[in-house]
Amino acid sequence: MQSAPFNYRRLIIWFGRLVLGGIFIYAGYSKIFAPNLLLHSLFSLKFSILANFSNFGNQVRSYQLLPEAGVYFVAHFLPPAEILLGLLLLVGWRLRVWASIVTLILVGFIAVVTRAYLLGLQIDCGCFGKPEPLTGWTVMRDSAFLVLAVLMTRFAFQEAREPHPWSAAPASEQPS
Amino acid sequence: MNRRFPLVLVAILALVFLGTVTRGLLMNASWVGPVSAATKGSEGLRVSTPEADTTASLRVHEPVSSSTPATPVSQKATATPAAAAPAAQGPITVNGVADIDPAKAFGSKSAPVTMEIFSDFQCPACKQLFTTTTQRVMDNYVNSDKVYIVHRDFPLPMHAYSRMAASYSRAAAHIGKCEVVEQALFQNQEKWEANGDVKGTLAAVLTPADMKRVQALVDGRTLEPLIDKDKQLGQAIPVNQTPTTIIHTKDGQSYPVVGFVSYDVLKTLLDQLVK
Repeated sequence: MQSAPFNYRRLIIWFGRLVLGGIFIYAGYSKIFAPNLLLHSLFSLKFSILANFSNFGNQVRSYQLLPEAGVYFVAHFLPPAEILLGLLLLVGWRLRVWASIVTLILVGFIAVVTRAYLLGLQIDCGCFGKPEPLTGWTVMRDSAFLVLAVLMTRFAFQEAREPHPWSAAPASEQPS
Repeated sequence: MNRRFPLVLVAILALVFLGTVTRGLLMNASWVGPVSAATKGSEGLRVSTPEADTTASLRVHEPVSSSTPATPVSQKATATPAAAAPAAQGPITVNGVADIDPAKAFGSKSAPVTMEIFSDFQCPACKQLFTTTTQRVMDNYVNSDKVYIVHRDFPLPMHAYSRMAASYSRAAAHIGKCEVVEQALFQNQEKWEANGDVKGTLAAVLTPADMKRVQALVDGRTLEPLIDKDKQLGQAIPVNQTPTTIIHTKDGQSYPVVGFVSYDVLKTLLDQLVK
């Protein structure tokens, strides 16, 4: 079987995987290992990571949406989940599943960021490890990511339903 | 899509599991090892050889003035700045940390750990750090002579009233009202940052006589160089965001902690260092 050439759908899928995968990995990494990273002992590394989770938790808390247990859960769960999802997007295995989850997560991000922006909350976005004021630009940037994620997911499903003739299994191999 | 449902469910469970495992590993007490030497970016820190602390503890336990509204003041947090008296006392050095304004420092100078906190009165994370973590550190470590806390002013240009708040806070510190005024400023941050009424916030917690003394110090601008000095010290580290806490030990080690840190997490480090 021969590989199918690039078409615009595959191009967007590849672009989405690279961009969103990279951004998710960076977002998770920066929340876990920034702004604190003390590397001289295991204890200091552990302290740094917990301090970073604590710092991210404070950013989550500032959205004024979740109870303390929810803040704690998101602060500890989201960063590793972002790294894992980013890696899975880059690998491309079961792409439709992970692309769908990433899209849902981005919908959630857009919802909370837009709400905070409309409420005029003067808070840090909490998108990455470094402090970043939540502005209209944040909403626009996350919207762009969401558009890319939606396109990537849609095309991933479409590619699965309608594979390019070159990559489709030969008629002799197809079950009758 | 029904066929995909179990896969999605498994994926979600895997993510939850990963998060839980990560948290569990990090909280595993067996990982805790001895704290040793240099920290990341320590070359930029003012790490110096700890000096022999020959000065007796200057901590003064002073009852809260009856004229001071008691509501925002923690009854346990009675450690007052070493220079509660208005007599001008020059900057001091503790645990190798130089240029400390004693009016903005709390605790025993012979404490094994010195915490230097760079904060901005208009920064929400600084408020969170002060009202949760720092207050508990005061209660549990400063009052038992384990930690010496130094409050550094680091007003950010992006905040319209933070410099004004720093000026009033410094002036209040120099008449011995540091803690009550810092609490008032942080706890009412949303109010005064909306209208710039820093003076009104202080007036609500100080007596008219104290307020008059504070206003005279602010108008005289004699304490401004101390705020500028704190800012310069922070820029030299460099402090890139507020709050930034530098934890110094007697053996000359420094541990920078950037951003908000919860009391429970900070406690793990302090317990290691004060042993």
